[in-house]
Amino acid sequence: MKRFILTLLAIASVIGVAACGGNNAATGGNTPGNTAAGTGGTGGEPAKKLDKLIISAIPDADADKLKAKFGDVAKYLEGKIGIPCEYMHVENYAASVAALATGKAHLVWFGGVTTVQADIQTKGMAEVVCCRDIDKKYTSYFIANVDSGIGEVKDLKELAEKAAGKKFAFGSKSSTSGHVMPRHFIVSQTGKSPEDIFGAANIGYTGSHDNTLRDVAAGTWHLGAMNYATYDKSSAELKAKAPIIYKTPKYVDYSFCAHKDIGAELIGKIREAFLSLKKGTPDGDKILGAFSAGSFETAEMSDWAGIKAIIDSGVDIGG
Amino acid sequence: MSTGVTTLRRYERKRPWAHWVALCIVALMVYLSFTTAEWDFTSLTDPVARGRAMDRAWALFVSFTSPDLSGEWLDECLELTLQTLAAATLGTAVAVVLAFVLAMGASRAVMVGEEKSPRWLRWFPLRSPAAAFCSLCRLILDTLRAVPDFAWAVILVVVVGLGPLAGALALALNVTGILGKVYSEFWDNVDPKQYEQLRALGTGRLGTFFYGIRPLASRSVQSFTLMRAECAIRNAAVIGAVGGGGLGAEIMYQIGFGAWAKVSTLMLFTLALTFSADMAGNFIRRQLRSDPNHPRAHKSQGTLASLSRSYIGAGFAGLVVVWSVWFMGWGNSAGYEGSTVNFMKPATELLGVQGWKNLAFFERLLSPDLDMSAWGDDPVWSIDWNPFPSDEGAAGRYMYKLENTPIDMTARYGISDVFNGDAWSAWNEELSKWFVWRVIKSAASPLAMAVIGTLLGVLMAILLTYPHSIAFQLESSQFTGESPPLWLRGLRGLQLVLARLVGLVARGVPEVMWAFLFISFFAPGLLAGAIAIALHSCGVLVRVFSETVDNIPYRRFEQSFMGSRMTCFACAAAPVSARDWMTYGFFQFESNVRMGVVLGIIGVPGLGFFFTFQFEWFQYEKAATYLLVMIGLTVLIDRISRALKLSRVG
Repeated sequence: MKRFILTLLAIASVIGVAACGGNNAATGGNTPGNTAAGTGGTGGEPAKKLDKLIISAIPDADADKLKAKFGDVAKYLEGKIGIPCEYMHVENYAASVAALATGKAHLVWFGGVTTVQADIQTKGMAEVVCCRDIDKKYTSYFIANVDSGIGEVKDLKELAEKAAGKKFAFGSKSSTSGHVMPRHFIVSQTGKSPEDIFGAANIGYTGSHDNTLRDVAAGTWHLGAMNYATYDKSSAELKAKAPIIYKTPKYVDYSFCAHKDIGAELIGKIREAFLSLKKGTPDGDKILGAFSAGSFETAEMSDWAGIKAIIDSGVDIGG
Repeated sequence: MSTGVTTLRRYERKRPWAHWVALCIVALMVYLSFTTAEWDFTSLTDPVARGRAMDRAWALFVSFTSPDLSGEWLDECLELTLQTLAAATLGTAVAVVLAFVLAMGASRAVMVGEEKSPRWLRWFPLRSPAAAFCSLCRLILDTLRAVPDFAWAVILVVVVGLGPLAGALALALNVTGILGKVYSEFWDNVDPKQYEQLRALGTGRLGTFFYGIRPLASRSVQSFTLMRAECAIRNAAVIGAVGGGGLGAEIMYQIGFGAWAKVSTLMLFTLALTFSADMAGNFIRRQLRSDPNHPRAHKSQGTLASLSRSYIGAGFAGLVVVWSVWFMGWGNSAGYEGSTVNFMKPATELLGVQGWKNLAFFERLLSPDLDMSAWGDDPVWSIDWNPFPSDEGAAGRYMYKLENTPIDMTARYGISDVFNGDAWSAWNEELSKWFVWRVIKSAASPLAMAVIGTLLGVLMAILLTYPHSIAFQLESSQFTGESPPLWLRGLRGLQLVLARLVGLVARGVPEVMWAFLFISFFAPGLLAGAIAIALHSCGVLVRVFSETVDNIPYRRFEQSFMGSRMTCFACAAAPVSARDWMTYGFFQFESNVRMGVVLGIIGVPGLGFFFTFQFEWFQYEKAATYLLVMIGLTVLIDRISRALKLSRVG
């Protein structure tokens, strides 16, 4: 009895200490959440001064690369806008959208679908700061295992006829280029859902583009859909085992989004900082190189209207 | 004569039919697991598929043999390990406090106390305010552990922001649900006769609890708390899911990019962490052990030595918690180029209003989509404009079409067809138009995985317990009377070390990771999930199984020893500990059902898979329906285990 109460007391006192510690820390600096949220819905109102800019990104690439890449972005922005910037690595797509929508993150690198989701979830309060030059002409590849006997096809209707009943892999469920756009092109070209064509039990999600390529090459899946960038820079050996059978039409993808609550002035400064990155300068080479982009460009939320229409019409994976 | 009759009657009542019923139910569950869900055995039966599967598994195995040991990555791994330890300890510490309070509410013996009402009335929670409160607490606990921890993490992000604190708190909520349920069950299952003197003397409900019920169950509570804490530390994949780091999340993440060299380094660190957590757990257990009959109890110690042990044990646990708070706040180097980030600071958001107001973001989770229109309450009409009206049928230029045909269960088969197989499949087909029914059916795959996985895991754990137990390997001469030569002792020692190593690896590698490995062999499906669950359960269970065996006083073996250690294990050790094994086995089943739901995320379609999708796509109404079914499942299992009084440890 005494022992247990002692243990409990020890734990309780520790938590008490933690709470006090937290309080002390709070008097020093403002917490990021307070600044952005309160003004929701009023748009034009001048925003309160931000003490720290929280940057986040969807988890679509190797974690160390992301941390290094956005660490550099944070440092660069800090020099340009004069507000401390911090990168927060998340491993969940929904968390990054929820964080932006509730003011817990201020600048987020989204994919095509997450850009639109942010627009919907913030009720139009998300603003596209910029996107890369390559994002306006993105594309996905359909690949097939070389032993599966499925050669190049001219459209997905032909694929549906040739490959009925084969095992088909998408990437992450939330991915634009690894799931939503390939699914959209399948539905729009054949009039049937992938579940109908291949059978619900033959559809799977590998979690990432790299996985899709690896597993299709290994034969775990007969067919797969993935983004062109990952495919183009992977090894020749993998490419030989999983050749491209179809390339989708072009569509828009990634963007940097900010919540309008941080103020038009600040968003302008951030946009200016990104647009001024040029090849040949040290900062420009480092950041543009990491993003494999030639430059950053301005973009409007309306550029993503195509993806918004797809999401509005409902993406149904069965169940 | 009359006494003879009553004695007979008593034996009659004690005839052990319940065991047979239990066995039949288990057999039925196995049968249902194989029939209701789709199992794919082709990679075992088909030689071509088996060959390819072997190749894949071998390739994967080879890629694990060259861990990335560069200094930079080792530093990163160490930092992640410490983060995991800090966040998991913090989460568990918060959970122990919350669970203790909630469990007091959820325990009938504590909250409701003595009842004069007839037995049948006790099934109704609204019989008294106290009983209603008790049910409410149970429901809260059920919800806390039914909602997957990653969902809690995303929900908490809007309150405390991104960072490991959100992950640690999500873990705390989940563990609260688990611990609270078990605590309250332990307390309810203490025989009231053992504390009825307290009640008879007029002690109140709190007094009865603190001086009667709690001390009687304290050993079980302590043992289970440590077991859960070890679990939380080794597979807290949720830490880092929403910012920060953590080993589990990093492993999942690196798997996503096929960085096997890095994954194998991470696995080595996870195993080291598991090993240290087990050692620390053993140390605390040893300090807090109070049973003088324990085979390895400290004997003939001075007052000071025996008193200080408990302080050392509690102090050590307290120290680890203090360290985790310090590390989360001031001791880490997670920032840009090794600077410290204070992850504890966002905790102040919990005291403010704004963070809680942000929860409105998830408001739609409270209005689940019950799809009542499928039943025809709210017919959906679509209007087609028909430019070429034919002469018959369409009267005007507009065609009205009923989009949804309401479900009509009696359309083809009436109630009189209950013995007709076709009628059942027709009813299923008809009912499948209803979203909620499809959701309920999706619970079949996690359940099937959990049933098969747990059974296999328990069997493997029982077999492994023999070489895993100190009593039967190192100290058997204490009850066998033999004096084995040095080489034989060495051999037995080796057996013990090997068995412990197998157990350590089996539980040190998280289920999700095992599932990934088996997916490469079996292809995604229930089989891979079930085997992953079986292996991990085996690792977790063998530790507690052999602990119960080692806790049995050697006198009991001495009496029944007949020349073979193995026979003694099967005929004395196993029956003595069977009750505890069953309890732990059932706990494991409960947590495996939740794990089955989580495994849905990595491509075993079912409840978890669809929930994750709906949740991540902000279709909260539909996600809420899946959540309802998950909570319903948890409540069902919980109430069954309470009714059968399955949790009685020690």
